[in-house]
Amino acid sequence: MTVNPDAYFAVATLLFSLGILGVISRRNLLVIYLSIELMLNAVNLILATFSRLHPDEGGTMIALFMIGVIAAEASLFLAVIVQIYRKKHTLDSDAFTELAQGKKL
Amino acid sequence: MIEMLETSLFALLTLGVLTGGLMILLARRPATHAMGFFIVLLCVAGLFALLHQSFLFFAQVLVSVGGVVIVTLIMILTVNLRETDLPPEPHKTRWLIGAAVVIAPLSLLLYRTLTTLGDAFPPVSDAFGGTRSLGTLLFHDGVLPLEILSVLLLTAMVGAIIIGKKEQSYDRES
Repeated sequence: MTVNPDAYFAVATLLFSLGILGVISRRNLLVIYLSIELMLNAVNLILATFSRLHPDEGGTMIALFMIGVIAAEASLFLAVIVQIYRKKHTLDSDAFTELAQGKKL
Repeated sequence: MIEMLETSLFALLTLGVLTGGLMILLARRPATHAMGFFIVLLCVAGLFALLHQSFLFFAQVLVSVGGVVIVTLIMILTVNLRETDLPPEPHKTRWLIGAAVVIAPLSLLLYRTLTTLGDAFPPVSDAFGGTRSLGTLLFHDGVLPLEILSVLLLTAMVGAIIIGKKEQSYDRES
């Protein structure tokens, strides 16, 4: 193995940072959802690297479970986005502040 | 020769991850987001393969690339967004730069913490990460989490169908 673990950790950190950046700085709901997915995938990559680093397949098992959880999360998040878009006809996350302002829905 | 191939493959996959991530972060059109998402998931699957995790590679390709990306694309096509439905983001670049400055130290901390955990990959047997060894582990240590996950997936499916219905109760009232 010529590529050392640090390189994998660097890629995972970069992916995670891109995810946080998207959640913080964009207002498009779709971008926020995809950024959350990026963060989950970064965690998956870190788990796989751990599992390879200390040859133990527990990390692989957790990463496998996380792939399932990501699929469940994706289906629910997308259904919510579709429903929200039907109600307001926008993907702007700033349009959904009724609960914060105490207005009647 | 093998080492050079591995290094160049790793560089290519890293480039793909970065490109896809930046496509999601900077693009404005939803189709471009979906394409970037596809590239990221595929490159992460490739990195799994480089890490000797063959089963994880297949799971990622089948579930994430084959399932989640397709569902995202179907959602984008169903919603059929117009340009006016996307939020106006006049200060996007400023926000991105500001957030990057805030996040950079956190990322550095994360990276430094992770790199203290090990220096080199130990050699592993060919069976590592394969279906047989992972299946044995799942049936010995991971039975309960696996069952909980299957219930979660069933619940998510029912929930997604109910949330995505055409007419909701609040539609009838108002």
